[in-house]
Amino acid sequence: MAGQVSSSVIGSRQGDAHSVTAAPPANERSLRWRGFSNLLPALAFLSIFFLLPLVALLLRGILEPTPGLGNYAQLFANSAYVRVLANTFSVAGLVTLISLLLGFPLAWAITLVPRGWGRWLLNIVLLSMWTSLLARSYSWLVLLQSSGVINKLLMALGIIDQPLEMVHNLSGVVIGMSYIMIPFVVLPLQATMAAIDPMVLQAGSICGASQWTNFYRVFLPLCRPGLFSGGLMVFVMSLGYYVTPSLLGGAQNMMLPEFIIQQVQSFLNWGLASAAAALLIAITLVLFYFYLKLQPESPVGNAR
Amino acid sequence: MAIGKGITAALAGLVFTLGSGVTTAADSINFVSWGGSTQDAQKEAWANVFSKSSGINVVQDGPTDYGKLKAMVESGNVQWDVVDVEADFALRAAKEGLLEPLDFKTIDRTKIDPRFVSDHGVGSFFFSFVLGYNKDKLKGHDPETWSSLFDTKTYPGKRALYKWASPGVLELALLADGVTPDKLYPLDLDRAFKKLDTIKKDIVWWGGGAQSQQLLASGEASLGMFWNGRIYALQQDAAPVGVSWKQNLVMADMLVVPKGSKNKEAAMKFLANASSEKGQADFSNLTAYAPVNVDSVKRLDSALASNLPTAHVADQVTLNFAYWADHGSEIATRWNEWLVK
Repeated sequence: MAGQVSSSVIGSRQGDAHSVTAAPPANERSLRWRGFSNLLPALAFLSIFFLLPLVALLLRGILEPTPGLGNYAQLFANSAYVRVLANTFSVAGLVTLISLLLGFPLAWAITLVPRGWGRWLLNIVLLSMWTSLLARSYSWLVLLQSSGVINKLLMALGIIDQPLEMVHNLSGVVIGMSYIMIPFVVLPLQATMAAIDPMVLQAGSICGASQWTNFYRVFLPLCRPGLFSGGLMVFVMSLGYYVTPSLLGGAQNMMLPEFIIQQVQSFLNWGLASAAAALLIAITLVLFYFYLKLQPESPVGNAR
Repeated sequence: MAIGKGITAALAGLVFTLGSGVTTAADSINFVSWGGSTQDAQKEAWANVFSKSSGINVVQDGPTDYGKLKAMVESGNVQWDVVDVEADFALRAAKEGLLEPLDFKTIDRTKIDPRFVSDHGVGSFFFSFVLGYNKDKLKGHDPETWSSLFDTKTYPGKRALYKWASPGVLELALLADGVTPDKLYPLDLDRAFKKLDTIKKDIVWWGGGAQSQQLLASGEASLGMFWNGRIYALQQDAAPVGVSWKQNLVMADMLVVPKGSKNKEAAMKFLANASSEKGQADFSNLTAYAPVNVDSVKRLDSALASNLPTAHVADQVTLNFAYWADHGSEIATRWNEWLVK
């Protein structure tokens, strides 16, 4: 359109004008796809080792033992399975909330302290991730059980008479998992915080914002990308966690991964297991969709 | 159905081919068990001896994974030749067509306790669920029968029970409720769960042997059901742990050969050796599990012998593996329902 207008006005430069207006889309597209071939190995790897098995797995859910939606009907008809599902999401939600609450001040401290110290703190956080998951879960067992260190200390100090029940129940799972998940909140959050210009906060207080207003209206919104990506990562990882819940949780707090493993390994009921897995994937994807809606500037979203 | 299975099978095959490395046929078999001290003993008592006498190399692999076993058989790429599995699974897997029938010309069936041998599996070892208790916690009150588990006044503290929907817990609840051993099966699930309801909040569940020992030795649990070998090991370590053999519940592991094993003949020879009088006795002396070969009992260490289920047959109850093979899946559904309620 612009080309046509310009061509009618300045006839001699028609060709130039046309090429200028038409070029950007073509250019942009070729830029976008340039280097695509470099992606092929990764795409091939993902399709063969991730996508295909996933499809095969999902197929089992509707094909075994007889074709149809019998497995899904079984999942929803039985209140126990619905409860397992609810358990899974409430544990994941609680763990996400607690890791965010604890991870936030930690990330802020790492950002604030002098550089050398900050790096040390960050290394300590990372170090905990390099220790075996099993060993860390067992350590919590030693600390939390009724004859454990914490209970013995509290009883010796006369604070409690009866040992607190902190393990083999919901609190055990939430404590153990939050501890394991905190690094996954701290890392993205700290990166976000480090990128915030301190002058912005100064500007806020110069304009008369109180400390709290400054925190809620300026700082917190700036941290949002880190909070969201950390929170999402923790939530999704928690949904699929197995080792820690099975060690620190009670049998009544069964989560979906444990249910799936039971069906796969003990009962060879792969149809039901794959239906449960598909359900978990579907619900996660729905949550992910809402997350993208709420958080357009996320690292995986359509950044502009 | 065929397509889905085909794809999964092909992928599973691919994965196992990549993962399993190269093993030559004929002069080598893969033996799969649960790892830990049990598999160490199986290696020492069976594999090493067998390799020396037959020249067939036994490669140790593990841990046993029923899902993997099924995937291998479905894909037709079977890497495992002899697998140690639970008795009820051995019967169920045979029914699903996952196992080779055993060659009883090679394996001497006559000497195996008939409870622990079927067309597709020969006993690996057997053990009992026994009532174990922490003496420091119960101070002078020694529980004797399964009903003690349900008497929280006399025997305070947590009860440690086996967490999986497998033979044991439901049976002991029914026995404690007054059902006689000959009337146990078919299991009255309603009655069993009702009985378990009375102590539900006092139960801590254990999923493996090490965890059960930790619970009992630390006093986290005052009493509970345990594998007899684990109690014996605690007592050897001088832990304040007592045991009652009243109505001990017998459970077994079986050795099976997955359908399509490439070294069937060698596997049968291995089974013959493992279930022999000497093989079973040597293994028992190393592990405190009981031998399935009736002739092995006379070869047991005298100190150990009284701590094995073979010495407590008087009011022993053998769990019905066949019943569990048929109904395990539906019981598990009820079990999960009850657990999360």
